[in-house]
Amino acid sequence: MPEAVDIQLKKGALDLCVLALLSRGDSYAYEIASRLAEAIGMGEGTIYPLMRRMQADGLVETYLVESSAGPSRKYYRLTAAGRASLAAQTQAWRSFAGAVQSILGEA
Amino acid sequence: MTRQEFIARLRAGLAGLPPQTQTDIVGDYETHFTEGAAAGRSEADIAAALGDPDRLARELRAEAGVKRWQTERNPEAAAAAVFAVLGLGAIDVLVLLPILVGVVSVLCAFFIVAIVFFFIGAVVLTTGPLAGAAAAVAAQMLGGLGMMAMSVTSASILTLISIGLVNALIWYGRLHYRLLKPAIDPTPPAPPAELALP
Repeated sequence: MPEAVDIQLKKGALDLCVLALLSRGDSYAYEIASRLAEAIGMGEGTIYPLMRRMQADGLVETYLVESSAGPSRKYYRLTAAGRASLAAQTQAWRSFAGAVQSILGEA
Repeated sequence: MTRQEFIARLRAGLAGLPPQTQTDIVGDYETHFTEGAAAGRSEADIAAALGDPDRLARELRAEAGVKRWQTERNPEAAAAAVFAVLGLGAIDVLVLLPILVGVVSVLCAFFIVAIVFFFIGAVVLTTGPLAGAAAAVAAQMLGGLGMMAMSVTSASILTLISIGLVNALIWYGRLHYRLLKPAIDPTPPAPPAELALP
């Protein structure tokens, strides 16, 4: 079932993508959602349950930034645990992707 | 779907969560609509990109249930978390339910045995002084105490096993629920064209 594979791949990558995005700079949910929706084709709404889970797990923390126009924005930044998780997941991803790539290359 | 419809369905799906959590979540999605509107997108566009509000509400409820179970370890929180995670459709309930009922019954039976043993121990302990010889009194009282201690130990171990079981179930459910489903497959697949032909 190609669809199931597609879902599982993207789901596994989503956490990692959010962590990687935040490691390059703090961001707010709308920006994270719109950037990831374009890049990997996910429902923008799913970013909110994910951010709440990451916050509950202590991977990210939030702070409010007053905006000149409109409501104040809730920014997310990585915690030390978030950085550690990013490093571990990045390594796991690279070795897995490398292994898959070499097998695909052989076929 | 308009912004109002989306928020109303989300709110309905979140009913029963702590009011503060509901306000936080709804606030997040309201902000999303405001940001989207500022970027020049229509309400219908934004709502479509967000996905199904009922499903989002189920995911958010499951997260809140798990969080509650992590802070308060009691049977009610455990049941709420397990049912919220089951509600995601991550685990096939029909497959899981018979197993779950079996395991829970066995655990309950062991708990009851431990409690009964505790009371038998108490009875043995208190009736000790009624036994004739001095040696028999001491033996019976020590035996009673031993039974009570054993039943308390078994009950503690059973509690740890139950907590472990709930955690394992939640871990499995969170790992398998299909987070991206609405984004990839927003409408049920159409029947194959061949079947539609006479």
